[in-house]
Amino acid sequence: MNAVAIIPEQNLLQAIPEKLGISERWVEKGGVHWLASDTLHVRDLAAVMNKCHARFITITAYQMPGDQGLRLEYHWDVNGNVLGFSFQLAANSIESIYDLCEAVDWIEREIHEGFAIDFTGREYEPLLLRQGDTPGVNLRETGTPNKTATGLSAQEEVKK
Amino acid sequence: MTYKIPMGPYHPALEEPYKLDMICEGETVIDAKLHIGFNFRGIEHLAESRNYIQVIALMERVCGICSNIHTLTLCQAMEQLTNQTPPPRAQYIRVVVAELERLHSHVLWAGIAAKLMGFKTMFMTCFEIREKVMDVLQAISGNRVNYSMNRIGGVNRDIDDPLAVLAMIEQLEREMVRTVIPIFTTSTTARSRCAGIGVLTNQRAISCGTVGPTARASGLPQDLRRAAPYAAYSEMEFEVPVQHDGDVRARLLVRALEIMESCKILRQALTKMPSGDINTGDAKIVFSTGTATSRVEAPRGEVMYSVSWKENSRNPSRVHVRTPTFANMPAIRWMVMGARLADTPLIQASIDPCYSCTDR
Repeated sequence: MNAVAIIPEQNLLQAIPEKLGISERWVEKGGVHWLASDTLHVRDLAAVMNKCHARFITITAYQMPGDQGLRLEYHWDVNGNVLGFSFQLAANSIESIYDLCEAVDWIEREIHEGFAIDFTGREYEPLLLRQGDTPGVNLRETGTPNKTATGLSAQEEVKK
Repeated sequence: MTYKIPMGPYHPALEEPYKLDMICEGETVIDAKLHIGFNFRGIEHLAESRNYIQVIALMERVCGICSNIHTLTLCQAMEQLTNQTPPPRAQYIRVVVAELERLHSHVLWAGIAAKLMGFKTMFMTCFEIREKVMDVLQAISGNRVNYSMNRIGGVNRDIDDPLAVLAMIEQLEREMVRTVIPIFTTSTTARSRCAGIGVLTNQRAISCGTVGPTARASGLPQDLRRAAPYAAYSEMEFEVPVQHDGDVRARLLVRALEIMESCKILRQALTKMPSGDINTGDAKIVFSTGTATSRVEAPRGEVMYSVSWKENSRNPSRVHVRTPTFANMPAIRWMVMGARLADTPLIQASIDPCYSCTDR
């Protein structure tokens, strides 16, 4: 017996935009069903995904070229389909959905440490990737490198 | 009185570095916190400085057990961006190597689980069986760990005599049915160490977003080979083993049954393998701008790659890897709550954790 109710795929794909209150349609691209909307709110999305018994997969963070900022892509699985939702970040922060979706805990923490993105409304415990240091140095190009004992960054010491 | 016991990051009961801070009352664990990242390697970032050939070799090193799965997932994503479709024979070879990798991963896990139960004879038996699988992988690929089988548009090496592999499959099945499964399911040692231990309820498995055998042992019938078939899996007949108890024994049973299903898939793939090319050739590879996502059912569960590329670039602009252990590991907290301290090494091992993948 299946523990998760299987919702017919066509009904589900139609139902999600309706439940989110948006008029945009799904676009299938690169192995993902994308639903793009400027009015989409991440917490509304998480609540709808819960209602649809969707399984959270991951969040992918992108640093856009130049000063275009950061983008997050949230992925859920429904009946073997990958659903994708993209969010352009303002001021490097977005509301956390940890209280709605327990599975996002580690990836929100990892993105916080790697890209210095603040998921507001939650507390962080370090994953030890950057414990005691400035978040965002690992993966963000704008991060300030650590200074070594000589006062130079590790990269500058290698060059020297 | 409660007290905290830190286990790890370097501890005899843990094979690799991670830390479990356990709050105990007497011998009972009442809560736990997990810490990872002790060997974080920044592979995703490194990938941005590798070209489309080098990045395959790099991502093969994300995991030391399921290295093939990572290149398979990456190549499937890159094939979407380059509009290439591997020939049918290549798809079958991908299935064969993926299932051989599942066999050696599951048998390795069974051996380690036996060792943690204090069942050293079983450990030796499992590793002897695993050696036979690795011999086959070596015969096919020339390598025992990083097989270098996958490339954009197919595979690098053919399987010259597919039917020769069948003898190993039959021997493995015999050993599983005659020795491994009966001992794990009927011996008092195995039962007392596994039954009712480290329970992950169905609801918690759903809320944690668990994948692979960990999810299937808690009653979730999810398997990408069935739900979203890739390579030649749509042409294979197999069952998805599901257990409902959610304990260590259920996770053990799921993997044991999956070994039998892998043998079934291998037999089909080897006997039905079509003739023809094994890749799309050496024509220039041209990437289109965009992001492609690919998922594969690894031995530990779903692996997902998101790969972004810009036209005319030799390097990816972003490679994101979601490994199964990254999804399953937070569930350990719920598994160890209420458990005896002495059972925690076996409980944490029961998800078949890969710290190499997690600290990618």
